[in-house]
Amino acid sequence: MTASKAAISVRGLQKHFGDKRVLSGIDLDIHAGDVTCIIGPSGSGKSTLLRSIAFLDPYDGGDVHVFGKLIGWRETPLGRERAGARELAEARRSLGMVFQHFHLWPHMSVLDNVTLALRLVHGVPRKQAEETGRAMLEKVGLSTFADRRPESLSGGQKQRVAIARALAVRPKAMLFDEPTSALDPELVGEVLSVMKTLAVEGMTMVIVTHEMGFAAHAASRVVFMDSGRIVEEGPPQTLFATPKSERLSQFLQTWRERAL
Amino acid sequence: MSGFVNDIPLYAAGLATTIAVSLLGIFISVIVGIFLALALRSRFRLIAIPARGYIEFARGAPLALVLFLLYYGGPQFGLLLSPHVAGIVGLGLYGAGPFAEIFRAGFSAIPKGEQEAAEMLGLTPGQSFLNIELPQALRVTLPACVGQTINLVKESAVLSVITLGELTKVAGTISSITFAVVTPYLTIALLYWALVETIARLGFYAERRFTVKGS
Repeated sequence: MTASKAAISVRGLQKHFGDKRVLSGIDLDIHAGDVTCIIGPSGSGKSTLLRSIAFLDPYDGGDVHVFGKLIGWRETPLGRERAGARELAEARRSLGMVFQHFHLWPHMSVLDNVTLALRLVHGVPRKQAEETGRAMLEKVGLSTFADRRPESLSGGQKQRVAIARALAVRPKAMLFDEPTSALDPELVGEVLSVMKTLAVEGMTMVIVTHEMGFAAHAASRVVFMDSGRIVEEGPPQTLFATPKSERLSQFLQTWRERAL
Repeated sequence: MSGFVNDIPLYAAGLATTIAVSLLGIFISVIVGIFLALALRSRFRLIAIPARGYIEFARGAPLALVLFLLYYGGPQFGLLLSPHVAGIVGLGLYGAGPFAEIFRAGFSAIPKGEQEAAEMLGLTPGQSFLNIELPQALRVTLPACVGQTINLVKESAVLSVITLGELTKVAGTISSITFAVVTPYLTIALLYWALVETIARLGFYAERRFTVKGS
């Protein structure tokens, strides 16, 4: 199977919310080390695509393979059935996820946020987990914030903690769902620079974003979606300089006008 | 006055019974309340609907009625309970409804994304519940829980109807022997007040200590 060569392989992905079709047949291969930015207008299905890869939104047609494992479903001789919680956790093990609204756990310290999964899921002793946790916080430039509560952090700092939390369990690929959309403009840069460092280190990343500048500079590939379909994809230089489709030209035009 | 001094051990015993029975009853209420709140969220109607029905029943039924059913009605079904056990269980079942409503609100106040984050990191639903949801639900519902606890302590006065020797029963007994009304009832009023005040203060202290704002 050629599909298994890709880190994340999406085939014929379909998703409905009630009567509304949100994804209509997505094919996408993400290779190890790729930094893929997914762009597109609101409601185009880009966040749903990302959440379907993580099976946070269960898809109802097609396949998503994550490092060779079908995610969310189990093939049986009688057809497909939903994977159990343990199987799903196993398939997700190689994925880290960063959310638009951070979703830190407010009742524990920054360090506990970062180390909880190491201790509970991976059975790492507290002392060792905290060493790893502190190293992760160092990596996102927040080593002095270990004992703080999330409530005392700025949005940008929260998102960097969320990145450290996801990295702590050593995922092989990171999914970012509009990681800077909830931030004040002056805080966007610190988060993007952490992400850029990750990209340079060779982390496989899939990023749903509205940051065209980041997509242009950091992405190895940009995917443009509209109405639940991939309209166009390619290296950022080509895609931004010479869009082939009318829809992408329009989208880029609106974005340029707004940027002025 | 010497009569009052002689009665002090009776009041003390009544106070001890009120405290013990209330604490155990409230403990049952909280535990059953948490399970009911979880049942309400269940995807399975076979679990959610009976839980809703129970909460509605507990809302509508006066405590005295629950106690009569348990203590006087129980023997018909082979359920012979001592006044203590009937009182504790009755108070527990009666209080579970309101606690369930409190916890339901508490659980729904936690952003769903926090569970998704836990899920993505590999936490099992049980781990996520114990480490993410429950601690936060208990924190946000603390003021409401303190209020409900105070209510139940005061309502425990009704336990005197099943002959349980708690504070109100003690006052009644003393009153029927000495024909004094004002002294015994004012005395227990003061004791109830002290009890409630203590709970309220503990509650304030716990709130200051544990409450966190959302991230």
